[in-house]
Amino acid sequence: MAKAKIKFADVNVTVTVPVGTRIIEISEKVGSYIAYNCREGDCGSCMFTVTEGYDNLSRPSEYEKATLLEGYRDIIEGWRNAPNLESLEAALVRDNLVGRKCRLACQTQVYGDAVVAPLGS
Amino acid sequence: MVAKPIAVTAKPLSERVHWIGALDPAMRTFDVILRTPNGTTYNAYAVRGSAGVAVIDTVKEDRAEQFFASLESIARYDEIRAIVLNHLEPDHSGALPELMRRAPQARLYISESAQLMLKSLLKSDVAYTPVTTGDRVSLGDRTLRFVHTPYLHWPDTQCTYLEEEATLFSGDVFGCHFCDERLFNDTVGDFRFSFEYYYQHIMRPFKQHVIEALELIEPLELRTVAPAHGPILRDRPRSYVARYRELSTPRLHLDVQSAEKTMVIFYISSYGNTQHMAEAIRDGAQEIGGFRVSLYDLEGAETEPFVDLVEEADAILVGSPTINGDAVKPVWDLLSSFVKIHVKGKVGAAFGSYGWSGEAVRMMDDRLRGLKMRVPVGGLRIKLIPTGEELERCREFGREVGGFLVGRQTTRVIDMSELLAS
Repeated sequence: MAKAKIKFADVNVTVTVPVGTRIIEISEKVGSYIAYNCREGDCGSCMFTVTEGYDNLSRPSEYEKATLLEGYRDIIEGWRNAPNLESLEAALVRDNLVGRKCRLACQTQVYGDAVVAPLGS
Repeated sequence: MVAKPIAVTAKPLSERVHWIGALDPAMRTFDVILRTPNGTTYNAYAVRGSAGVAVIDTVKEDRAEQFFASLESIARYDEIRAIVLNHLEPDHSGALPELMRRAPQARLYISESAQLMLKSLLKSDVAYTPVTTGDRVSLGDRTLRFVHTPYLHWPDTQCTYLEEEATLFSGDVFGCHFCDERLFNDTVGDFRFSFEYYYQHIMRPFKQHVIEALELIEPLELRTVAPAHGPILRDRPRSYVARYRELSTPRLHLDVQSAEKTMVIFYISSYGNTQHMAEAIRDGAQEIGGFRVSLYDLEGAETEPFVDLVEEADAILVGSPTINGDAVKPVWDLLSSFVKIHVKGKVGAAFGSYGWSGEAVRMMDDRLRGLKMRVPVGGLRIKLIPTGEELERCREFGREVGGFLVGRQTTRVIDMSELLAS
């Protein structure tokens, strides 16, 4: 089975996982401080930043995108003016407001090597 | 006690503002967790402007009759233009469906974070307008302005400010369970105990959010604070706001004039083995330095002062022997008390000596993770009496957790199969 390495930067732990594993299946077990609430993509509690390997993760569904868009509100004023998630993220990264793009740990699957960290760590 | 019927009518806060809530003097337990020796009130309010009436919050469903009777005494349903819910918990939203049925033209205003909850509560789609800090609703010569104060004590909570009268309808914030039909803080009995108790059990886990909300509330002119439970605060309302500020500010760092981190180690030991582990872990953590380490024996101690310590600690280590396949009761008493405080994100670790099977450590580990604490090192178990080598493992455990606390953690690479097996 193909493997990938996912690193949780806040606890400095790297886990070798079968490709397709969801972040939610591992983050709590290694003690990473990604906090969950609904565990089904609705609440946005488990938003995390992708430090490296964004393209090695599954693409966000439309559903996840809607939650992310809502979640970015806590980070940035004026989010309402962004026409969609992609343009908002581009602006956020350009202006260094979040540093990196975010995902939901309960939705994201690992397809290749990546480094992740909880929001604000 | 025997509940006697109470004649309820709307009571004026001003010419244009009325209390239209309900009294529940016989209630003795609220939400399973709170004792309410004085019963409670569900405070709802009506504000009359030149262009219509706003109703702010409703009451628990079984008190709806009182609420509608009060409302009808001061307004007609067709005059109601706005319904505001500051908080969707059923004790405030219970009469909402019936109110919306009687006043179908009224617009419902809820906080942006209340939208999903509304659907789950009403089990049907209703029209509403989501609002946040700064949004206003005009009633002609009266204006409501919203203040978003999330997590006090649900994600949806907000306050509503009546600009022309400097009155803050604060929802559960500044509330308490105290039923006294005289209603106003300068006329009711002494409710200080209830006010403090309510803060300690409802608001305390959300101290950081309380401080954020106070940043929005403190600059407001406040002639009256009208909460959703208990007395209406019209006499020196600002003293209650100041008390919230005091209760939400961390103490230890003020006392020792230092921002250094703290690690607290709790243990309980039947034959001294878990105690020896605790001492070795402390010694290891001390070697790292840069934070204050304290060691506490849970045996015979009261839990409550320890909860205060934990609230301001950065790392919490818990040690228990395994007896009959479980950690011992004082440990669970401590761990179950964490629900009252904010521990999410603190560093946690578990350890213990055992004789046969040693389940306690893993159970404590799970509890710490369940509290969303960061558990960087899996729990340390040692069979019966720790040897010199095993005590060194304890010191190493202390160094690892301490290193993590000060940001000097070691890098680990593991396979997922190990994680699933552990």
